[in-house]
Amino acid sequence: MNAAPAISAAPSGRSQANETAPVRIAVKNLDFYYGSFHGLKGINLDFRDRQVTALIGPSGCGKSTLLRTFNRIYSLYPEQRAEGEILLDGRNVLDPKVDLNELRARVGMVFQKPTPFPMSIYDNVAFGLRLYEKLPKAELDVRVEESLRKAALWDEVKDKLKQSGMGLSGGQQQRLCIARTVAQRPEVILFDEPTSALDPISTGRIEELIEQLRNEFTIAIVTHNMQQAARISQFTAFMYLGELVEFGPTNRIFMNPKKRQTQDYITGRFG
Amino acid sequence: MDARNPLADAQAATSLTVRVRPGRRVADRVLRLSCLVATLVGAAVLGSILLMLIVEGVKGLSPTLFTQPTPGPGSEGGGIANAILGSIVLTLIGIGVATPIGVMAGTYLAEYGRNSKLADLIRFLNDILLSAPSILIGLFVYTLMVRPMGTYSGWAGGVALAIIATPVIVRTTEDMLRLVPGSLREAGAALGAPPSRVIMSVTWRAASAGIVTGIILALARIAGETAPLLFTALNNNSWFNANLMGGVANLPVMIYQFALSPYPNWQGLAWAGALVITMTILALSIVARFVIKPQRAR
Repeated sequence: MNAAPAISAAPSGRSQANETAPVRIAVKNLDFYYGSFHGLKGINLDFRDRQVTALIGPSGCGKSTLLRTFNRIYSLYPEQRAEGEILLDGRNVLDPKVDLNELRARVGMVFQKPTPFPMSIYDNVAFGLRLYEKLPKAELDVRVEESLRKAALWDEVKDKLKQSGMGLSGGQQQRLCIARTVAQRPEVILFDEPTSALDPISTGRIEELIEQLRNEFTIAIVTHNMQQAARISQFTAFMYLGELVEFGPTNRIFMNPKKRQTQDYITGRFG
Repeated sequence: MDARNPLADAQAATSLTVRVRPGRRVADRVLRLSCLVATLVGAAVLGSILLMLIVEGVKGLSPTLFTQPTPGPGSEGGGIANAILGSIVLTLIGIGVATPIGVMAGTYLAEYGRNSKLADLIRFLNDILLSAPSILIGLFVYTLMVRPMGTYSGWAGGVALAIIATPVIVRTTEDMLRLVPGSLREAGAALGAPPSRVIMSVTWRAASAGIVTGIILALARIAGETAPLLFTALNNNSWFNANLMGGVANLPVMIYQFALSPYPNWQGLAWAGALVITMTILALSIVARFVIKPQRAR
């Protein structure tokens, strides 16, 4: 790959970065350890409200690790720990007193591989809703439909809501997972390489979807695909070896990177 | 070699395979033949057992087999209805006790005890129990229940069978839960579900076919156990008490006692009982295979 495609992939249609939007997540001096391995080193980064922020960088640079600190999903594994501060609306989510289940209802996550639960499409979407709210059936129906519509899946599944979610295609399964996340009405949605297991057509639909979801949610997305970052994000953070190298509006990062490493990466010279 | 002539190429390729060192071809033939012979020997043994069982067992079939209890020594007629019902009751007690313990323990090992030393110890002890001689388990329950209670009982027999079935269920439950991808657990946790909810609604469901198969196989295993019942449920030549106290008739011990007897009628009933129990276990194994099929199809 040479410089041309990466840069020309930045479409003119994408909305400009809003650098004055309020900060939703503020990462301050964040360090992360896998046992004795120092995975993230002194990260400082702001995620702005209703903007898509892309995390890019070569494999093993820590972008997924960073994403996994925001909902503390890493704490499923006892040998992993984070130090520093991650302020979600001003409150430090790394504080041990934070209720993890409540945090995860506010910060949703969509994974690399689609993870439909072995239950019906309807029950998949209702899963998160049933955890905390005792909704009457009629209202549950409304929320499930609303979520499936937001995930651009309703028309394809409205006649088979009782069928297993495992029977859908890969792209549909991923949109089902997005619907499941959206149903909880989170403030932030984390996407961890959501399209790397999908074909180009499904990828296109997910990208359009993320563009729409930005109107309602603050979005952070890890991607290996630089064109994807250029297409769908307003801000881009480039990471390398556990450090944040450069952060700024996507247009500037791709057109006019300040650091040599960023320039080399986005032009495909390494990574 | 003429590169433009495909036929010549093909001939050259053939002649290459023909020129393989003769020693290798011999070795290949010998190995293939020994594998075939070993398979045939194994299948022949199994086939002759089944054939003999069917031929002799069918002779013992009679209209009263499933309606009448076992006859007294030297008398004619009778059936094995008490032993069939007794075996069903003992097996159900065994699996009823073993299933909750086995599934819970297997869940602990796979979900909660991933990095704990206690789980490693339990897994090790469970593997030992899995291969413990079943006669020892019979003696263990004899000292634990039969001696203090002063009588043989169906309860003691059921508990002995449960001790055989539990490690099988623990093992299959843990193995099946470990096959559930970690990403599914992460997805559950990421929605804010506590671990208990993720286990009950997601991982158990994902592994349900495998867990049920393990339970059915444990059922098939204990249905044919004889040794643990010798010291616990014993046997009985009549209908057993409703409270299961005293000896409880059951197929394996009935077969054991009747086959060793000098009475042709008893020997015929033993064959019929052996046929019934073998066909039941065969049916259970086939059901277990069908349970696991839909899972694979997904």
